Amino acid sequence: MTTWKKIAIAVVLLVVTAVLYGLYLYNKKPQNIKQADSQFEITASGLTTAFNTDESAATKQYVDKVVSVSGNIKDVKIEQGGTATVFLDSGDPMTSVTCSFYDTEAAAVKKLKSGQQVTIKGVCTGKLMDVVLNKCSIVQ
Amino acid sequence: MKKTALALCMLLVLAKAGLAQKYFTKNGTVSFEAGTALEDIIATNKTAASVLDAATGQIEFAVLIKGFEFRRALMQEHFNENYMESSKYPKAVFKGKIVNLTPALFQKPGNYPVTVKGVLEIHGVKKEITTSGSLAISGTTVQALAKFPVTIADYKIAIPGIVSDKIAKTAMVSVNCNYAVLK
Repeated sequence: MTTWKKIAIAVVLLVVTAVLYGLYLYNKKPQNIKQADSQFEITASGLTTAFNTDESAATKQYVDKVVSVSGNIKDVKIEQGGTATVFLDSGDPMTSVTCSFYDTEAAAVKKLKSGQQVTIKGVCTGKLMDVVLNKCSIVQ
Repeated sequence: MKKTALALCMLLVLAKAGLAQKYFTKNGTVSFEAGTALEDIIATNKTAASVLDAATGQIEFAVLIKGFEFRRALMQEHFNENYMESSKYPKAVFKGKIVNLTPALFQKPGNYPVTVKGVLEIHGVKKEITTSGSLAISGTTVQALAKFPVTIADYKIAIPGIVSDKIAKTAMVSVNCNYAVLK
């Protein structure tokens, strides 16, 4: 085999790999947080205190991270479309932790009661009125 | 005479208590579509916070940009890092007023068309918008629905030429909030 043939084959292989890798990246689904390991384990009051004392430091530390938060349930809301949300009491009446669940978790969330102690895992997206966790599932 | 005055006073107090009602939600849904024939782009945020003042018609919404969920991981990454710069501008906020609201509306269950006027802040840019929507009032809950276009260039969001055919120039934003009485 001549050198130019070798080069041609190498180039074709490279292009095919690049295209396949591109397609893989393009079609990649968002990470399934239910199966992800938590990077932080914290109480609801610990998390809200962190955001209330220094929001930018807390944002750096927790936002976009997988966080397991434990606390007492303040309220459970299930919307008509099946979207489930749990609010965790932090002891501070102004700031709770809003946990928005995967739609597939609605049945499990329905069984939760106000006042119950629970640990919820999700991705922290920041603070509005509450500190917000997305893509949640129940750990315990 | 005294009795009438007292009754009148009580009526006023009661009416005021009824009218001064505020409604809130922390799990409202805000979604948008910005796809074209080449690509479907849909994102949903299920943790919008909103407060509605029945007495004045003031209405406010806030969402965390990082709370928008996409079907593809890369889309969400580009949306946050390149287009919305969500680390720099973490929130989108709307502050406005329902212009055709009569406070008595909240006393009467039903479905009412409304017009909302206010300032929408996205990507650090504030712009006045007007949109129509509806309020469904039933007892102690209120559902608000609205759909309005957002022109991406208005908010200084730069879409690179290479993907400009895939992303719509105007995003359609949908809002669906179920309010409870703020105690």
